[in-house]
Amino acid sequence: MKKAIRISLILIIFIGCFILLNMLLQPKYATSLVEGSMIAQYYDESKDHEVIFIGDCELYANFSPMVMYESAGIKAYVRGSSQQMIWQSYYILKETLKYEKPKIVIFNINSIRYDKQSEEVSEAYNRLTIDQMKWSQEKIDIINDSMTEEETFLSYVLPILRYHSRYDKLTSEDFEYLFKKKHNTHNGFLINKHIKGVNNLPTPKKLGNYEFNKESLNYLELILKLCEENDIKLILVKAPSLYPHWYEEYEQQVIAFAEENNVDYYNFIKYSEEIGIDYTTDTYDGGLHLNLSGATKLSKFFANILKSNYDLINYQGDPIYEEKLKIYKNAIK
Amino acid sequence: MVINFILLILSLLIYASLGITNLLFILFSILTSFFAAKLFKSKNKKFIFIITIILNSLVFFFFKFMIFKEITSFNLIVPLGISYYTLQIISYLIDVYKNKYPAEKSLWKYMLSVAYLPHLFIGPIAKYDEIKDAIFNNRKTNWSNFYLGITRVFWGLSKKLIISGRIAIITNNITTNNYSGWYILLAVFLYSIQLYADFSGGIDVVLGLSKILGIDLKENFNSPFDSQSVKEFWRRWHISLGRWLKEYIYIPLGGNKHGTFRKNINLLITFFISGLWHGLSYLLWGIFHGIFVMFGEKLKTPFQIVNKIGTFILISLLWCFFLWSDPFIALKMIGSIITDFNLMNVIQNIFNLGLALSDWIVLIIFTTTLFIIDKKQLLIKDKLLKIAIEFKLIILGIMILFILLFGIYGIGFNVNEFIYSNF
Repeated sequence: MKKAIRISLILIIFIGCFILLNMLLQPKYATSLVEGSMIAQYYDESKDHEVIFIGDCELYANFSPMVMYESAGIKAYVRGSSQQMIWQSYYILKETLKYEKPKIVIFNINSIRYDKQSEEVSEAYNRLTIDQMKWSQEKIDIINDSMTEEETFLSYVLPILRYHSRYDKLTSEDFEYLFKKKHNTHNGFLINKHIKGVNNLPTPKKLGNYEFNKESLNYLELILKLCEENDIKLILVKAPSLYPHWYEEYEQQVIAFAEENNVDYYNFIKYSEEIGIDYTTDTYDGGLHLNLSGATKLSKFFANILKSNYDLINYQGDPIYEEKLKIYKNAIK
Repeated sequence: MVINFILLILSLLIYASLGITNLLFILFSILTSFFAAKLFKSKNKKFIFIITIILNSLVFFFFKFMIFKEITSFNLIVPLGISYYTLQIISYLIDVYKNKYPAEKSLWKYMLSVAYLPHLFIGPIAKYDEIKDAIFNNRKTNWSNFYLGITRVFWGLSKKLIISGRIAIITNNITTNNYSGWYILLAVFLYSIQLYADFSGGIDVVLGLSKILGIDLKENFNSPFDSQSVKEFWRRWHISLGRWLKEYIYIPLGGNKHGTFRKNINLLITFFISGLWHGLSYLLWGIFHGIFVMFGEKLKTPFQIVNKIGTFILISLLWCFFLWSDPFIALKMIGSIITDFNLMNVIQNIFNLGLALSDWIVLIIFTTTLFIIDKKQLLIKDKLLKIAIEFKLIILGIMILFILLFGIYGIGFNVNEFIYSNF
């Protein structure tokens, strides 16, 4: 009997060590490469948003839910991550709908240009989106649909298989955030105050084929279907990022899709003057993403559109959001 | 009986799953040798013997040197393990022909002894009577064997993933980028350790898996870097190949019975064949080994440590033929060690060759452990059996954690198959 207890104890200690090593070696995305923690921060939020943004970095850098709350009382959240591909957006939306039923889902259409063979698809970006997702059927599906050839499903289940070589790269961050998380975003918005204006944008390359890949279009249809099934209004947006170039051929295909499916579509590149974006001061990386100043202008503009055209409640005065707003204002000082 | 039957079916199925040509060619070799040996009682014994040997050797040579690819438009992949099972089959035919033991009566027993999956990948090259005894007569499945087996499997994997994988980063870097001079010396020294960790690690996995099944296969290594001469090295390195070459090439040629000159010729032929078995580009490697076996003993000093270091240097330099597939480039590289004295440059760049300081520390610790454990293998085996189950579990657990943590695998690393599975 005593022997059995000793053996069980040893096994438990080893399993414990194994779990601890897995946790320790996995990147924490707390103070560096914070983009990897964005998807998971949603789990700690109250799930009462009326507007959910789904998409890539063009969302988390350009749309500030706290500005939208301040100006129109909108409760919004951005479930965005770096280079979030359209198939990933579909599963993240699916996961979100398990927690809450927003009135509006806003999808940034930029990622429809990519397909699974695109060079923009990479293991590193997959990790930033998927690593910290909670285990669910959606996580299993997003892994299976996103994996590059060199990746294995098992390495998502056991992160040590992927990150074992970090043993000599561990920093204080890895120990400090071993059991806790750091919230770097404000309802999914990542503040960036740097200024790097647009200067010599590369001339857009002529492409051999401008047609969206059928598989990517299929995911857009799945997103639409998911919204329809849940009685959610889908809005498509194209954030006012100037690079990578948004071709007119892309624009026409999105307009056609929007008209055919009775979906509202806003291309904010076309509204940039009306919004008041000054591309010499309102971006932090030469036109790829807006900085705090640009994002504030855009968020106010879009909040007005949402307030005027859609049936949203004005939550201004909500004690939780007022507290959040204080924190946000403190952060942007 | 049932387990053996399952083992045979599993071996054939896994073998076939890696390519149906694998199965077809091993079945061809098994069936021709099995029925030929049965006919050794007839009058045409010699004719049947020669024809079967030629037939099986031809298949081996055709694939080994891709003659098949050159004379036909088919692009067949070399059947897995052909180098290993062809030697086993030839030794069986010779032994039966010379009446060392009778021809096998049971086809399925013969089939399992040849196609026993673990040893097809990397060896050791088994003699038929020994492997048959190990599988059918002396098999012992018990918890002790299971524990020893599983520990050995993980020991083998740690050699492969922690040591060989780490060194491969440097040797690949040096051989694929235009390094010369003392970088080459560093590469060949490290490759000695890499190849040993890789090959003996693979053999550990094979012996460990067999041990789990209760099958005791012969050891293939015996602390080769303890050798004081190249001759001794060949008694400690790839023992099964050395023994095969001695029994089926060197001794039939006359061995050392007909004077020094004939002995040296026999040695050269034997090592030439050893090189040929590895591949055409290894012929010079084989011949050089033959020369060092012939004259190496004369170079011995009264100091063991000097002999050991000298042998290590010689053996390491000869691995250049493994590092560069073109033997002339290999010789040019070795020549650059003398013409390009850049030792200081190597020292300054040691951490820029692909391994950081932490990797070097891991490498040095694990390589030292490897050599210590290697020397005390029997003692350790004995102690492993005597310790309490709790400690057995702790040792196993630590090994697994070490492999997971310090192993070189996953994205960004090209963990090739075991080096010797390519031969």
